Amino acid sequence: MAVNYDPALINKVFEVTEPVDVKAEKIQRYCAALGETNPIYTDEEAAKEGPYGGIVAPPSFAVTFRNGRHFFENVPRFGRRGFDAGKDVEFVAPIRPGDKVTLTSHVKEIFEKTGRTGTMVFVVIRSTLKNQKDEVLAHIDHRFMNRT
Amino acid sequence: MSSFEEINIGDTLGPLELFVSKDQCRLYAKTMGMGDIAGRFTDDEAAKKEGLPGMILPGNMSLGLLSKLVTDWIGSSNAWLSRMSTTYRVPVQPDHTITIHGFITNKNPADRTAEIDVWIENEEAERLVTGTATVEFRK
Repeated sequence: MAVNYDPALINKVFEVTEPVDVKAEKIQRYCAALGETNPIYTDEEAAKEGPYGGIVAPPSFAVTFRNGRHFFENVPRFGRRGFDAGKDVEFVAPIRPGDKVTLTSHVKEIFEKTGRTGTMVFVVIRSTLKNQKDEVLAHIDHRFMNRT
Repeated sequence: MSSFEEINIGDTLGPLELFVSKDQCRLYAKTMGMGDIAGRFTDDEAAKKEGLPGMILPGNMSLGLLSKLVTDWIGSSNAWLSRMSTTYRVPVQPDHTITIHGFITNKNPADRTAEIDVWIENEEAERLVTGTATVEFRK
């Protein structure tokens, strides 16, 4: 059974998200939750001597920004339950405290797959993260898996 | 860390053995504002209602732990984690010991990059999350 969706969904760019302020405290809490101790992410003084001249967020912080309502307004629901199936991330530049981060996203792909646990619909969303200087921070392909 | 010249295909990163408690999982989910999206990351009962064995780690948390394996290896050098791909094969449950592994699979002198397979195993050596990372050794 082919998955039904409007083909116009593919490549349609969502409205850009509201900028999110990257607070130093949020980076600290992120580091604490992951058990991060690398001084270039956690120690202002040590980070000044490091490769980025100050504290930066761990690269994986990039995946914590979300499309929020832009996702729900643009992506149809397939099935009852959705799971995060995986990500492909290209880290372009470090995220720094004080950055204002926006996401510009589109649906890259929708496909169906039948595995040992049944039929699943995958939706791949591609997001580009930028800061307030319009510099690209990361590109993220996010694969959502939905059980039908 | 080692220089680009010093690393070799077959070198390993870690393994990093971690006990991720339910509280740490909740802390991550709450810090990232995910508790309100899905109880599966904060509450055993909510997770069980979804047919899961209990609370699970958010996929992003697994990606964060795999990235940490690589950035621990990079340390405070100017090498740059430029790519990370992950596949969440089996849910990662908190209150278990997981082991995070890395293995250098390729080294490209033309662009001074190393390709690394990364994965998270449970106590039974089952690969729960698999991925690949690329590190650029900048001059």
